[in-house]
Amino acid sequence: MSNFLQFTVFGIMLGAGYAIAATGLVVTYTTSGVFNFAQGAVGMIAAFGYWELVSAHHQPTLVALLLVLILGASIAGAFVERVLMRRLHGASAERPVMVTLGLMVILTGLATVVWSPTVQRTVNPQINGQFRLVGINIQYQYVLIIGVAIAVAAGLRLLFYSTRTGYALRAVVDDPELLGMAGVSPNRMSQYGWILGFFMAALSGVMLAPTQTTGISIESMTLLVVSGYAAAIVGRLKHIPLTFAAAIAIGLAENYILNYIEPHLSSSLQRDVDVSLPMIFLFIALVTLPSVRLRAVGRLTSMRAPRVASGKESLIGGAAFLVVAVVVSVAFANTNIKGTTLLTLGGMVMCLAIVGLSLVLVTGYSGQVSLCQFSFMGIGAFVMGKVAGGGSLAGLLAATAVCAGIGALVALPTIRLSDLYLALATFAFADAVAQGFFADGSVYGSGGLQIARITLPGLSFGGDTAEFLLVTVFFVVSAWLVLAIRRSLFGRRLVAVNDSPAAYATVGLNIGFTKVAVFAIAAGMAGLAGGLYGTVQQIVGTTDFDIFPGIIFVLFVTIWGIRTVSGAFLAALTYVALNQIWPSSIGIFAGLGVILIGRAANGILGIEAIHVRLPWVKDGGATTGEAPTRTFGSLALGGEGSRAAS
Amino acid sequence: MPQAEATLATDDGPTPDHVLTVEGVAVRFGGVAALSDANLSVRAGTVTGLIGPNGAGKTTLFNVISGLQTPDRGTVLLYDTDITKMKPHRRARLGLARTFQRLELFGTLSAGENVQVGLESSVKWWQWRHVKRKFPWVKEGVASVGGVPLGEPTGPGSLAVVTSDRLLEGVGLGGMAADQASAMPTGLARMVELARALAMAPKILLLDEPGSGLDDAESQALGTLLTTLAKGGMGVLLVEHDMELVMRICDFVYVLDFGDIIASGTPEEIRRDPMVQAAYLGAVSETDAHAASQKTHTAATHGTTDGTTGTTPGTDDGEATQA
Repeated sequence: MSNFLQFTVFGIMLGAGYAIAATGLVVTYTTSGVFNFAQGAVGMIAAFGYWELVSAHHQPTLVALLLVLILGASIAGAFVERVLMRRLHGASAERPVMVTLGLMVILTGLATVVWSPTVQRTVNPQINGQFRLVGINIQYQYVLIIGVAIAVAAGLRLLFYSTRTGYALRAVVDDPELLGMAGVSPNRMSQYGWILGFFMAALSGVMLAPTQTTGISIESMTLLVVSGYAAAIVGRLKHIPLTFAAAIAIGLAENYILNYIEPHLSSSLQRDVDVSLPMIFLFIALVTLPSVRLRAVGRLTSMRAPRVASGKESLIGGAAFLVVAVVVSVAFANTNIKGTTLLTLGGMVMCLAIVGLSLVLVTGYSGQVSLCQFSFMGIGAFVMGKVAGGGSLAGLLAATAVCAGIGALVALPTIRLSDLYLALATFAFADAVAQGFFADGSVYGSGGLQIARITLPGLSFGGDTAEFLLVTVFFVVSAWLVLAIRRSLFGRRLVAVNDSPAAYATVGLNIGFTKVAVFAIAAGMAGLAGGLYGTVQQIVGTTDFDIFPGIIFVLFVTIWGIRTVSGAFLAALTYVALNQIWPSSIGIFAGLGVILIGRAANGILGIEAIHVRLPWVKDGGATTGEAPTRTFGSLALGGEGSRAAS
Repeated sequence: MPQAEATLATDDGPTPDHVLTVEGVAVRFGGVAALSDANLSVRAGTVTGLIGPNGAGKTTLFNVISGLQTPDRGTVLLYDTDITKMKPHRRARLGLARTFQRLELFGTLSAGENVQVGLESSVKWWQWRHVKRKFPWVKEGVASVGGVPLGEPTGPGSLAVVTSDRLLEGVGLGGMAADQASAMPTGLARMVELARALAMAPKILLLDEPGSGLDDAESQALGTLLTTLAKGGMGVLLVEHDMELVMRICDFVYVLDFGDIIASGTPEEIRRDPMVQAAYLGAVSETDAHAASQKTHTAATHGTTDGTTGTTPGTDDGEATQA
């Protein structure tokens, strides 16, 4: 019985920690309409800042708390709103997601520079000691966390529903212009919202840091907030009491599972369960969440879509690309960079470019943000190497099919919901797969997974040149396919479902089917790229398909242009090049790039002002050439004016 | 040129059947009753008007009928089929099409592609292929969509492209198929939305303020078009603030106020109903009254002699209304 009580108290404390994190997510979303993926990174910076002040500079706890929570968080929140978020008003839906992801990788990148990951840092509790109650020991720190969580939930509820400022904070998302007409500055309210959100993020980081018994790490603190996702989703990203209750329930469930079920599992399975629980809770929350009602958007997408190459242009462009690849393979056959042949790096570029193409399909065309394409890539490499033995086209087919199937399973729970939930699901999936699957020694093996190069009857691709040309052919064919899809009936549907889901449904088209189908196709493409990547590298390791590299790559595709084939290729080229030159700063480059690109929906390739002109990139826009004379004035259909109008 | 019968249409011709029936529909948003006990029906081959002041619940009722809003109670029937719990896309496939008060176009696509999406939703892709390969003459022979006659084919292209071009031409947008939808003025964009809805060959067409943004001549032409659609057998349910248009083309009118149907009847009966006058005229400001008077005057100069009040209250969402 005392064990049960002990587990319960610890579970409530764990849940209270999740509640603080999840409430922070809800606060930011409620007051800005933006889901802040950098919430965990802000908490991480706060935790390290707090450690720096208390442990390294021996400042009093209260001073450190004031500096980190009040001064640091306020300034940072106000800065982010003013400099990054305000100019995104009215931008396409995925843009704020990309910017907060950019902020996340910048913060993690800077933290890596400032606080070496090799040093262990333990944060002492804000209140030391413990007391005994009904036969169990309870630490004061637990009581503090639970008390803070309750105070935060109650305080925010009061703020939002009982004060004029609270009403304004909620109203600013619904209709900022209307709020402005009521005499309240929407910009100021947004800024208050971001300050509050950053305060909550910092608070969760500082409160949860002492619970990390093995010390705080950049990655674990940044991803700690994932455990709060499920609670925030149960609260539908707006109900604070519901979020709080869900967080406590999740904390309890997690602690009971860890203490009552896990001991009966094998050690490797225990670890998998540990890291998979946040994702399991998230998917349970997604499945049980009521459907989101389709709403009329009420405004038109005014973005000029990049021009889509015709079938003939695609063929000519692909052939020209292959010729260039052959020239490169001949000219640089023996060139090495830091011990790797240039053609191997070129092969990696082509594989990543295929992943970029999958992002063009799923995010660029249909507007669904996927943050787990690298996970599919890793699974594809695994299938290629282990299940099918490697070295055969059958392995590639299996990698594609398995990933497409898994992709459909990931997307299915979110089809009734808005696209944001898919982004959350993919983030949680990427985290769980990286920590639970790829990091498992039995998956890739301690020395990495060997993957043989492809052999066909009468053909061997053992050399770097042949392998480079093979993956280039795969890239060209994939690019041609993506463009063919965009030109097709299905491609029009992808764009349409992104522009207006309500109109899409009311013309008789099934939103769920379209979204799951494109996500599965994109996952399959990423799986294919993973299989090829394995054959290029000939070995893949546990960290090749981590969550952060995956997100950084998504950002590079966004920077160059997530709606174009050229953008996918240039992103892959940039990613591989920077990884060779400045591997530790690649996240900072990606984050800064996506922030600088701001609201330009078509990335660098779409910015007309700088007149980027590449031979294979043409002017965008559907309205090319002279606008026809508009003779509207007699609706001709069936009427007397029919002939006259025509 | 011999005109083949429409392969895409359901030309049943005018029938006295109720194509759409709404029974006892209620919707609450928190403490606010958007619809209390809404009942109406639309006969095939008629234009039925749904009028009411701002916030009366007209758009909410459209959302319930098209499946974007689940009612708290009540039923919606398409002919004899209960579609109350059906998903929006399934209702559309049964023949229910709509336009929106605030434009819901596929803004990234061109006007022609918008219409093609509507066409493709009503024809399976393998049917397109079948039609194109086996019966190439059909390209020249598509005579009508949903009972609406199309003009002569004007150029080369796939069946979908030709048909969408002709539909656009039919609503006055000839030669504008390549224009990006989001770059079009509101009045023209509304016609793209209408052409897209027609492309679905609907049995019942719900139009949410299609006259908004049109000038008087365009409004006249819209009336002619809707009357033609109804003559082809389609049921049309029209939400419109342009009273002149409503009174001129509707066979039957329902008046919604505070979520309740407060009156129904022929346009003449509605015009004389004191409850309608109270609901409408009681809320009209001096400015609106002046605009109404101007509208009546304009209508008279265009040959309308029905002497409607011509009030033009704003839209449910507070949009500026047409002059």
